[in-house]
Amino acid sequence: MTSGKKWVLLLTSLLLPLASLATPTPDADDANALIASLHRPAPARTPFAEARFMRVLDKPLVVSGELGWLGGDKLERRVEKPAKEVSTIADGEVTQEREGKKPRSFSLNRAPQLKVLLDSFVALLAGDPSRLSQSFDVTLGRDADRWALTLTPRDARVAKQIARIQVYGSGTVARCMRMDEADGDMSIDLLGELAGSMPAAPTREGLIAQCGGAM
Amino acid sequence: MRGRRLGILIGWLVALALLGAVVATHLKVGTDLRSFMPAPTTPDQKLLMDQVGEGPGSRLLLVAIDGGDDATKAALSRGLASALRKDDGFTQVVNGDFDLGMLDSSLLPYRFLLSPTLDHGALDETYLADELQQRLDDLGSPAATLLKGLLPRDPTLETLKLAERWTPARSPEVREGVWFSSKGEALLLAQTRGAGFDPGAQEAAIGRLRAAFAALPGSGGSHLTISGPGYFTVLVNAQTRDQADWIGRISTIGFIVLMLVAYRSIGALLLGALPVATGALVGIVALTLSFPEVHGITLAFGFTLLGVAQEYPIRLLSHRRAGESAVAAVRGLWPLLLTAIASACIAYLAFYASGVGGLKQLAVFTIAGLLAAGFSTRYMLPYVLPEHARDVSGMPWLASFRDWLDALPRPRWLPLPIVAAVLAMLFFAPGPFWQNDLSALTPLPRDLLMRDAQLRGELGAPDVRYLLVVQAPDADGVLRASAALEPRLREQVAAKHLDGFELASIYLPDLATQRARQAKLPDRATLDASLGAALDGMPFRKDLFAPFEDDVETARHAALLTPAMFARSPLGQRIASMLAHRDGHWVGLSTLSGVHDASAVAAAVASAGVDARLLDLKDASESLVAAYRTRILHAVLAATALLFLTITLALRSVRRAWHVLAPMTLATFLVLAVERMLGIPISLFHLVALILAAGLGLHYALFFERDTGDPAEQRRTLHATVVCVIAALLVFGMLAWSSIPVLRAIGLTVALGVGFHFCLSILMAPHARKD
Repeated sequence: MTSGKKWVLLLTSLLLPLASLATPTPDADDANALIASLHRPAPARTPFAEARFMRVLDKPLVVSGELGWLGGDKLERRVEKPAKEVSTIADGEVTQEREGKKPRSFSLNRAPQLKVLLDSFVALLAGDPSRLSQSFDVTLGRDADRWALTLTPRDARVAKQIARIQVYGSGTVARCMRMDEADGDMSIDLLGELAGSMPAAPTREGLIAQCGGAM
Repeated sequence: MRGRRLGILIGWLVALALLGAVVATHLKVGTDLRSFMPAPTTPDQKLLMDQVGEGPGSRLLLVAIDGGDDATKAALSRGLASALRKDDGFTQVVNGDFDLGMLDSSLLPYRFLLSPTLDHGALDETYLADELQQRLDDLGSPAATLLKGLLPRDPTLETLKLAERWTPARSPEVREGVWFSSKGEALLLAQTRGAGFDPGAQEAAIGRLRAAFAALPGSGGSHLTISGPGYFTVLVNAQTRDQADWIGRISTIGFIVLMLVAYRSIGALLLGALPVATGALVGIVALTLSFPEVHGITLAFGFTLLGVAQEYPIRLLSHRRAGESAVAAVRGLWPLLLTAIASACIAYLAFYASGVGGLKQLAVFTIAGLLAAGFSTRYMLPYVLPEHARDVSGMPWLASFRDWLDALPRPRWLPLPIVAAVLAMLFFAPGPFWQNDLSALTPLPRDLLMRDAQLRGELGAPDVRYLLVVQAPDADGVLRASAALEPRLREQVAAKHLDGFELASIYLPDLATQRARQAKLPDRATLDASLGAALDGMPFRKDLFAPFEDDVETARHAALLTPAMFARSPLGQRIASMLAHRDGHWVGLSTLSGVHDASAVAAAVASAGVDARLLDLKDASESLVAAYRTRILHAVLAATALLFLTITLALRSVRRAWHVLAPMTLATFLVLAVERMLGIPISLFHLVALILAAGLGLHYALFFERDTGDPAEQRRTLHATVVCVIAALLVFGMLAWSSIPVLRAIGLTVALGVGFHFCLSILMAPHARKD
């Protein structure tokens, strides 16, 4: 963020009580413009590598594959490593298919984690800031070309499980997606080109630094 | 004199008020329709009677929520389900939203005994390693949040395996986590505690369901559709009451007009109503004294049947000569009136002999009522009537009507062509003679039935027609036999003879199976070792699975689960509805859905080598109705014989008895023949109505047969009979227009009967021929 902009920010926050609340703040305008710039036409696919840090595990769990937005509310998550698995989210249902197993499906309502993932992912790929702000409080941090969108769930029921989602990026490309669960578990997805550079033994700090650092 | 009349009148009214007070404080009205069904004799019929009211199928309400988007409807479905689950009036509510809480925490260790996992494996290192690897994959998948809470206690996901096992094979499409129909309505199944054919209980349950729905936020824009046997019961009940009410109001007005035209006296109208009012109150008091609970239908039918008693005051009013006191008039009439009362009571005795609870009540009510009305007409009414009355024989229209009637030809051979016509009509009549299908008497609009079939199909709700019956000396035997049936039924589902089935053993395995599974559970040291080996090289935290090891240890020493112990859990309710203790042995009742080939399923069940069979409730109900009818026919025959004897003794002449009984019998068969010719199959209600019409016809014949030789008296007889006939036609003719099959059956039969009885008894009366 340029220092000129910082001044504007400071001024607006000082004058905020005087200004009409209906007027969008430059900050929100900025976030909206950024989100709009992330738009990709469906179907959009990107490689991903995900590390999960969970309390039930001694060390993080790493999976990698491809994430795809098939248009509408349809998402597909193909895992290639460590074992092949395809998960599809469509029409409120999640279906998981694994080699040699019967497909398993469950309602999206049972997995709020997926629901917020779907909401945020689809809204970002569709470049739709209004949809994003329906489900989340959106704040944007910038440092030069790099940026971080922080999404906090508005629904109290969801917030009980998902503390926040952060999307890191630079220019008009999202590089990472980080999800913090309320119980302290965390997952970080490295997206696009970055997916190839998942370390063998990832750490929270290392991955956050790889994504561009906290803002 | 006037003062004495007033005194008697006041005394009478006070007595009526006292009877009314007794009724108001002691009358308990019941609504269970089953008390109007015959006592079952065969085991199948006994099961049917239980099923009709209390079977799981008949207690199901099918609910559809429409309006708004899917998310709204799903939220309403969940809200309604959780409200009803807290309601004591409902034993089970399912809407597709699977609830892990089905097995409460204290029962969780039992999952190893309930699930078939241990039947073909053990909790050894290989199995645990495989399961743990799958859980690791799960943690990397979108299902992670869903499963990670379960992981420490249930790493083999036994609870999910049970949930899968307990989910009906064929269930509707799930959207937003709940069931949806193909039309986009959210679907829900609610099982009531009250019996399906108890309109009172069902109405209360449906009322609470609607209230719970209305109380949900956002329900304003949505619409609730309810279907199922219980809902239909309520609907039919309300419809019947509604129609009976307005028909009753119109006929009451007509009756008042008739009495005013016939006697031109408000006093005669009001006082003439006293004997019937007395009869009704005495009848109800007799009922409350002899039965703990009076059925609502008994009262409704009873008042209709008691309408016959209105004839007694009418006879008294019509037969008064000019200047003759009412007391003298009643003395002259009494022998004949007494014969009429006695014969009507004998006809209604047939109801008592039927052995059906509701009909017995009906008999007690009508017989007590007729006697009270008759005796109050004899011993009280004459003393309160005004001293001077108009002699109806002087009415000019009456005289010309009588002359016209007398001029009609009365061939002696008249009965012969009538008998021939009756026989011909009965022979050539279209369709089946008897109506065996109870449901044909259900006055449900066709579109409601279609809607029910559609919802039932989508929900995979159990077929109400077929039931799988398993018998054994004890509950565990039923569970064992059910377990043996399970593979057979799966084959039937695979062969598409059947869509799905429920068996008690799916929820609760028998003791031997549980014991075998329990024996396979490793002790703590063994489990610890295999778990440690399986965990080698896996990233799971140390000691994560201590709760799992605790559960296995608990399950190893737990007392085996019985239906009684299971009763605490929500699933126990489901078991309870599938297991019944009856006559020293246990019966398992399983519902089937979508039976496509009943004979194949029956053969598969029979070949399983256990005491089980497929019960066709439609067959059982038809055999029950047929048995019921035979009983009533026997009772009617006995009553007829008794009637012939009574009339012959009262008239002291076989020839005179013939003149009374021949027109009555002929007219009864004529009604039967005409209804058959119209293509109406004869139901139980037609039989009851025929008896009622015969009672009325008997009265007409008795009075027409009376040979007084006095033309004025003959005119009075005609006047009384015409008033009675018009009154009966008013009431029953109105009923014949009802859209409710039961009311229409009674109305049409009695209206036709009254007409035929009147014509035949006048044409076959002896003295007219002599003129």
